[in-house]
Amino acid sequence: MIGDVIRTENLTKHYGEIHAVETVNLQIKQGEIYGFLGLNGAGKTTTIRMLLGMIRPTRGEAFLYGEKVDPGNTDLWNRVGHLVEIPYSYPELTVLENLEIFRRLRLLKDRDVVTEVMDRLHLGRYRNMKARNLSHGNAQRLGIARALIHHPGLLILDEPANGLDPAGIVQVRELLTDLARSHGVTIFISSHILGEISRFATRIGIIHEGKLIRESEVGQLKRSMHRTLHVHTLNNQKAREILTHQGYTSSPLPDGSLELPDEPAISHPEKVSALLASKGLPPVKIALDEEDLEHFFFRIIKNHHEQS
Amino acid sequence: MKEIKAALWMEILKVRRTKIFPISVYFFIFIGIMMGFLMFVARHPEIANRSATISTKTSFLPGSDWNAFFDLMIQLVLTLGVIGSGIITSWNFGREFSDRTVKDLLSLPVPRSTIVLSKLIILFVWNILLSICFVVTAIISGLLLQVPGWSGTALTPFLVTFMMCVIFNSLLITPVALIASAGRGYMLPISFIILILIFTQLLFVGLPDLTFWFPWALPALFSGVAGEALPSPGYISYLIFILTILAGLFGTIAWWRYTDHR
Repeated sequence: MIGDVIRTENLTKHYGEIHAVETVNLQIKQGEIYGFLGLNGAGKTTTIRMLLGMIRPTRGEAFLYGEKVDPGNTDLWNRVGHLVEIPYSYPELTVLENLEIFRRLRLLKDRDVVTEVMDRLHLGRYRNMKARNLSHGNAQRLGIARALIHHPGLLILDEPANGLDPAGIVQVRELLTDLARSHGVTIFISSHILGEISRFATRIGIIHEGKLIRESEVGQLKRSMHRTLHVHTLNNQKAREILTHQGYTSSPLPDGSLELPDEPAISHPEKVSALLASKGLPPVKIALDEEDLEHFFFRIIKNHHEQS
Repeated sequence: MKEIKAALWMEILKVRRTKIFPISVYFFIFIGIMMGFLMFVARHPEIANRSATISTKTSFLPGSDWNAFFDLMIQLVLTLGVIGSGIITSWNFGREFSDRTVKDLLSLPVPRSTIVLSKLIILFVWNILLSICFVVTAIISGLLLQVPGWSGTALTPFLVTFMMCVIFNSLLITPVALIASAGRGYMLPISFIILILIFTQLLFVGLPDLTFWFPWALPALFSGVAGEALPSPGYISYLIFILTILAGLFGTIAWWRYTDHR
């Protein structure tokens, strides 16, 4: 199954009584941007460290490009770039020297790759600045630069947006999207912010308490978010009677307006509007409300708790 | 070969850029100068009489000529070498964990064993360099302060013994590297070095028969500074010494290779 760039089979890690990761099965194809979502302590970093051979699974296996992940399989890392948690660089070395170290450790002959990656991450003006003097955001950029220096086919990134300002977040998002779309780079990116990750990921996996509780395409995920039609008229009580008479389900909200959760109302709000207008109660406000992504994330986690 | 060259380049750059490197060199040079000064005071007891502390320090010297000076240098390098090599090893390995840079050295085309090996090579060379700084400075200061009884023929056997002691001490960094890696920082290996020094002293004073079994006592036994009461080390001592170094080396490599890097 070389078709999958990342594949895990029952990947499990236990620390004594703590089940950090439990039977996680992943299959990620080339060019995908896979958002790995979970709260702090959900098992994201442990999974990533197992994918990178830093932690041995208690049970199960991980494969990258069809090859089993093992610390001895060093050739594998020529094709993989990574960033694990907060990137730490050698504080007494400059940005240039920190990157030069990794150019050499990755056995890259082309010296220009260092300048190229610095320019790409807007680090050129800091090239001679010691890493200890970098801002948090630039230290993060340096970590991302290290991950990209060898033009890897697979990027495994653990919360790369940490510490970046809004402009930096957009820049990294655009960079990653370009790498995936234009260069076919596969990206496995963890985050605890669904709103951010869903902007550019093609597929999302949600991990909670070590278990992969949901996996779907981003479009499908968005479709399964709760949507409701909110209607406000000059007489909401009467409007509710009219709607109920026509077969619509509605419930009053604290501000007196009505909430219609059914698909016919959501799909055709113009019909609801026309109905109420024909009865002399044209809506003063009618709006389709979509569930906030973060609420959706928490609802999935809550549902998982209730089911288990 | 490319891998070890890349790893060595990295280690040399890190050592060159750190403050601990020049500090360690200056410290060993300073100790060398102080040795010459101590011999000078031994020759001129009227200076020492003015200071109780200096007087005490010079009172243990076996004499004030070059033979006594050579003995003093060997005695000092036996202790200073363990401390110096221990501290720089603790720093080199421990900093990767305390600075949290180790995680970026694990998933690379360069094997982890090569990273460990390059660190040990650099530390070995660094330790030899420090000892050379010490001995050259001490000899120059001895010549400048005109320590009597200079003999070119005595210099060669002294240098051979001195360098052998330095090499023995420099090889004993591998268990320190293992403890620094397993302890993920500086504290545990530095505590280990202190414990080793105390234990070595206790063995020589209290249980001299057991010194043959203790690898950190080998340099002192080899040098003969412990006196004629203790003969030269036997095959068993060398075997235990080699096994200790190998255990430290392969233990460190295995630790980097097989442990969970959380």
